[in-house]
Amino acid sequence: MKTNDVILQTTSKVVFFMIVLFAIHLFFAGHYNPGGGFVGGLMTSGAIVLLLLAFDIKTVVKGFPIDYIILVGIGLLFAVGTAAGSLLFNIPFFTHAFGDVTLPVLGKTSLHTAMLFDTGVYLVVIGVTMTIIQTIGESE
Amino acid sequence: MAFQILLNFFLAFLWMFLQVSFDGTTFFVGYLLGLIVLYGMRRFFKADFYMRRVLAVIYLTLLFFKELFMANIDVLKVILKPKLDIQPGIFALPIELKTDWEITLLANLITLTPGTLVIDVSDDQKILYVHAIDVPDVQDAIKGIKDSFEKAIMEVSR
Repeated sequence: MKTNDVILQTTSKVVFFMIVLFAIHLFFAGHYNPGGGFVGGLMTSGAIVLLLLAFDIKTVVKGFPIDYIILVGIGLLFAVGTAAGSLLFNIPFFTHAFGDVTLPVLGKTSLHTAMLFDTGVYLVVIGVTMTIIQTIGESE
Repeated sequence: MAFQILLNFFLAFLWMFLQVSFDGTTFFVGYLLGLIVLYGMRRFFKADFYMRRVLAVIYLTLLFFKELFMANIDVLKVILKPKLDIQPGIFALPIELKTDWEITLLANLITLTPGTLVIDVSDDQKILYVHAIDVPDVQDAIKGIKDSFEKAIMEVSR
């Protein structure tokens, strides 16, 4: 008995964008407001899980041809690279640099290397969550 | 439709560059002027003038709120009646809408107006199965939905 999922699929296609935007908002809010890489990553995987519920695994893998295990590696590289970057300037491991930088389009923006570390966390969380869910989902 | 909106945005930007002032107000004025020019040129485009569709969307929204209000009062009457003489039932509603989002919109509008509830969509997407709290006359219910919501959605997507 296969039901017609047209309503669920159409709705999740629209809602997916809202969840992803909210996840990115949470990711950028991490410094001054509640949020950060971990919640953002979980929220992003939540959006992909919604697609997995509405469609099937094959469709979603075709839509996002990402190897999530490699994504974990990239995220860890980001984190380690941010931490090791301070060694180049002769300051202790994991010292963060920050400051106000004037960017060409955005104007005066406060940048912080903790952001890069957070990006690493974000990617690792997405990678780990999606790897777990896809591995469980694919095993018969 | 999409091309006309894009053109309107382009005209608004052109207006900003002509005025050499880059703020929201100038963009808005340019957008309005572009709208007027587009309206004058409407017979040269294949598609309809796109504001007609925007108005159709607004009409659909207002219709939905009106139906929501009326149907809530109907359900309130059913609840507060001392005698329970309702005739609940499930009926098949044949639809003429084609695309996925039209069907989703119609199903959600039917579900959100109290008293009716979409249970299932048939496999060939030609029939919606609707449960109603009180249907003394099935043909009436079908006609009511078809005349109000389906027509309004058709207006938007035609």
